[in-house]
Amino acid sequence: MAVVDAGAPALADQPMAPRRRGWARGLEIVVPATVLGILAVACFLGPLVLPIPDPIGGNVLESYLPSFSPGHLLGTDPNGNDILARILHGGQSSLTVALAVNLLGLLVGGTLGALSGFAGGITDTVIMRLLDVLIAFPSLVLTLAVAQSLGPSQTNTILALAFFSVPAFARVSRAATLRLRELPFMAAAGLCGTPVRRVLLRHVAPNIAPQLITFAMLGMGIVIVIEGALSFLGLGIPPPAPSWGNMIAQGQQSLSATPMLVVWPSVALFVTVLAFNLLGESLRARWSRQ
Amino acid sequence: MRLLSFLLVPVLFAVGCSGGASPAGPEAAGPPQRGGELTVLENASFTGSWPTGLDPATNTTGGANIPMMSAIYGGLFLLRANDDGSGAEVAPNQAEGYEFTDGGTTVRITLREGIQFSDGTPLDAEAVAFNFQRALESPCTCKPTWPLADDGISTEGDRVVVLRFTRPYAAVIHSFPASNVNWIASPTALENLGEERFKIEPVGAGPFTVVSNTLNSELVLQRNPQYFKEGLPYLDRLTFKSIGGDQPAYQALLAGQAQAYEGLTTTPLLEQAQADPRLTVTLQPPTSPYVVQLNTKAAPFDDEKAREAIYHATDFEAIARGLFGGRYPVSQMFTGPGGLFHQEKIEGYPEYDPDRARQLVTELGGLDVTLGTLNSYVAEQVMTALQTQWKQAGINVDIEHYQLSTLVQEFNSGNWQAMLQTAGAWDPASGVGVAFRFSSTSPFSGVDDPELDQLLNDAAATIDAGEREQLYRQAGELIGANAYAPFGLAFAPANLAVKGVHGPGLTTKIPPIVVNTGVIWDEVWREQQ
Amino acid sequence: MTAVVDEGPPASLAARLVASPSLRLIGKRLLTAVPILLGVSVLSFWVLNLIPGNAAQQLLGAEATPEQVRALELRLGLDEPAVSRYLSWLGGALTGDLGASLVSDQPVTELLWSHLAVSGELVLLAFLISLGLAIPVALLAAYKPNSLFDRISMIVSISGLSVANYVLALLLVLVFAVQLAMFPAIGFVPLGESVGDNLRSLALPASAIAFPLFCFYTRFLRGDLVDQLQGEDYIVTARAKGIGPWQVLLRHAFRNSTFGLITVVGLNLGTLIGATVITEQIFALPGLGQLMLQAINSRDFVVVQACVVVFAVVAVGANLLADLLYAVLDPRIRYGSR
Repeated sequence: MAVVDAGAPALADQPMAPRRRGWARGLEIVVPATVLGILAVACFLGPLVLPIPDPIGGNVLESYLPSFSPGHLLGTDPNGNDILARILHGGQSSLTVALAVNLLGLLVGGTLGALSGFAGGITDTVIMRLLDVLIAFPSLVLTLAVAQSLGPSQTNTILALAFFSVPAFARVSRAATLRLRELPFMAAAGLCGTPVRRVLLRHVAPNIAPQLITFAMLGMGIVIVIEGALSFLGLGIPPPAPSWGNMIAQGQQSLSATPMLVVWPSVALFVTVLAFNLLGESLRARWSRQ
Repeated sequence: MRLLSFLLVPVLFAVGCSGGASPAGPEAAGPPQRGGELTVLENASFTGSWPTGLDPATNTTGGANIPMMSAIYGGLFLLRANDDGSGAEVAPNQAEGYEFTDGGTTVRITLREGIQFSDGTPLDAEAVAFNFQRALESPCTCKPTWPLADDGISTEGDRVVVLRFTRPYAAVIHSFPASNVNWIASPTALENLGEERFKIEPVGAGPFTVVSNTLNSELVLQRNPQYFKEGLPYLDRLTFKSIGGDQPAYQALLAGQAQAYEGLTTTPLLEQAQADPRLTVTLQPPTSPYVVQLNTKAAPFDDEKAREAIYHATDFEAIARGLFGGRYPVSQMFTGPGGLFHQEKIEGYPEYDPDRARQLVTELGGLDVTLGTLNSYVAEQVMTALQTQWKQAGINVDIEHYQLSTLVQEFNSGNWQAMLQTAGAWDPASGVGVAFRFSSTSPFSGVDDPELDQLLNDAAATIDAGEREQLYRQAGELIGANAYAPFGLAFAPANLAVKGVHGPGLTTKIPPIVVNTGVIWDEVWREQQ
Repeated sequence: MTAVVDEGPPASLAARLVASPSLRLIGKRLLTAVPILLGVSVLSFWVLNLIPGNAAQQLLGAEATPEQVRALELRLGLDEPAVSRYLSWLGGALTGDLGASLVSDQPVTELLWSHLAVSGELVLLAFLISLGLAIPVALLAAYKPNSLFDRISMIVSISGLSVANYVLALLLVLVFAVQLAMFPAIGFVPLGESVGDNLRSLALPASAIAFPLFCFYTRFLRGDLVDQLQGEDYIVTARAKGIGPWQVLLRHAFRNSTFGLITVVGLNLGTLIGATVITEQIFALPGLGQLMLQAINSRDFVVVQACVVVFAVVAVGANLLADLLYAVLDPRIRYGSR
């Protein structure tokens, strides 16, 4: 998880996708975007329209039903809850957490980074050093502290994870702003005496937005994986509320006997993260070509 | 019985279940053989962590570390039982016997003659008295709660230790196997090494001596050549290793990294292990049942109607079948079938009756409950099931998972409503026994009833077993009649061993003293190839 | 990443480091590391104080009475105010004394070294495995971009980046330890006891960490190589001189790409020790991550504090190294921004 975390900003600077013909390029974006769309619809609308049981409150006498049982397509968990329902509802929380964390990171980190890169000097130094402290701080300790003092919950998970997405976004944003600052039109804006806020909003923001959004796509995948890791350690979304991470954590307690309890949520996790990664990569390739 | 439950319960495996279940009966093992090494795994979140070392007086987790402690120190008394778990009794081990006088206010413990610590110094009355004194000053919750008189510990000659109490206290001998007074450390070694080193390399008179000790991780022991029992222990080397949970432990056994595991609680793994011809699975006779503690000192459970609604809404039979494959019996009182003074039925116990529960909730105008428990895999599942059942009776349930410290805070605050806990021990008067959850003086009780206090105190004081049984039955009936706290299935972890490993408590049944069974390590042996 | 110099031999790297602007930069960066580490230590002390419960409570368990807890708190010195505890900790830390564990009384520095050795070896092995595989795969892929091999390696690597490492670890255990019994499922054998057993005990955890790294490095290196082969003037020159395609790839493109790779590896190192926490948990390795997790659970804040500082030192050190290399290798950054 954190392995990819640190590398991502560097990765985001690297144009590398093989050059393809126009239609193939289109497909690279359309396919993962469609997959994500289907996933989102399934997770958020599926439970409303499909005849699927509740994710909690199952009959304990129907525990450990195997996959493809009548009425329970993917079987049931130890409490007799329908696994498909839990995966769909778990997807809601995974996607919500990932979206919220990246949005927070993008807005706060993006602003700090742009400000830092644009202003330079002492502002730059102060902001970047503060963020360096956060980067150097083991995320696990802070998340544990948040989870144990405020209690594990979706909101607290979002807050804790946002702390660590802010510096990453700030670095990307600062790097992009630095490159932008060298360009003639920025120099022109500076010469004309345009106020800083206006320059940041009118000139910097639209120009660094594509890179930040691209990074956010990769960030979505990373956050979903990390949220799972937190739940895996019992610090994320508390059961019986479903999340992919806590489903995997619960299933691995009896992995050899009931592997499907781990397999299904892992598949959901993998497909989603893969789609975000592919989309992020394709977007980046497209921007770097322009 | 087991076959029946297999037929009744639709336990279905997704993958990895082979057909041939091992025969239920114990196989002929032959006479024990000397020699060999054994590696035993202990769950890190319970028995497998000994952060403060293994000195009985400074080990704050001594109650959990019974395997290591009894392998090093042996014990004055041990809980023994027939191979099927019946006839359990506390038998003298390093002690030779005991005798009550003065109407049960004095007990004389006689030691065996000629026992030596592994450093060669004698395990005599003076050493035992010294250890008692240290143990009672210990910060461990495994120190016994004796009603000791002033200067209540004395010696008579080399072999007799005398304990004097302020009131009759018959339960004293039964309190030994699970508390730190049972483990006698060498006073000489303690003085020579100092407390800091002693807790890492402790010296006792038990079957094994310490080779190396990495806290929370690995304890390597070797045969004590000066052990007082002729020809024992059988093993040359015994290693305890800490492990993260049932699944890795199971894997490690199959991978040949260890030969035994204490404390398996995960049902699907239990079933898988039972179907595996390479393993012996020993289900221990359960002694302590789950209990839903209700705080009768605060709303909503200061109202008996609300408590009755919980009783009637709770179907532990379904939980026992769905979550535990019907392996564990549901109890109506504070001991399980493996414990002393267990009663199958308690007269007037409010049983599962969802209609009555719904009716009561309506009469109350609704019922909102916060149900908490200590974070653990099994408790979490039980709690989820309870939440579902109570919701069906119209009760709104919020679930809280506590860490140890937040759980204690919650109890101390007095604001808690319902807690899923375990109650009882092999002897209800010792360990985390019944008083711990029900006495008005315990901080972890939601009950304040002088009549119940009196019954429990009288029972602990009574020597005659028949009378004690009568008192505990009355206590059970009182709890049921007032709907103080519904009891659930009595649960005991299972022990796993690879084939060819034998030993009392490991491959035979002994009721758990508190949570895990006390394995008798000097008699554990391995078939030699 | 752009090429530094046409044929930059390693010697020129050393020469650059000695050149005065770089030295000044090193000094400056080293100075900035000090407030960062100080900030981390303050932050962690503050955060740890927020966590409810303390070591005394945790040591005594749920059955302890308030009196027992208070007595132990006094013995452990937990009754002093946080600020004075921090200052005395800082005073000790500056002289190399990180105190003794609240729980076991063992000196913290001793604990750190023994656990750091395990995590260090794990990370080192993971790097060796991932780089050892990524470099040849990336070279083969870049040799003929869009070839079948290239496509497959790209699909594998992006898929690999999408697998959560805890899932991968569980999968490895299930297949290689449980089913095939090729490697132990858990535990650690020290190097001193047996080299073979030591490597066997680390094989699965190191692979679990190495696989995503391998995927990442493969993508990174392959992308960098392809870009250089397609766009850079010096490659065109080299090709014009009639140098063979493998020679161009290895001698020129790869040599330049290694600089970028070093930077990325340095950045990774900073967070990798943190990423070992879950892996160590699954494989029951007595590493730094496990030490920290255990210490948090037992509220042994003296040990947690020390672990946090070690993680921070590694992260800051690695970042520093990466920054410096980047600056030394890419003159535009060195002169451009400051």
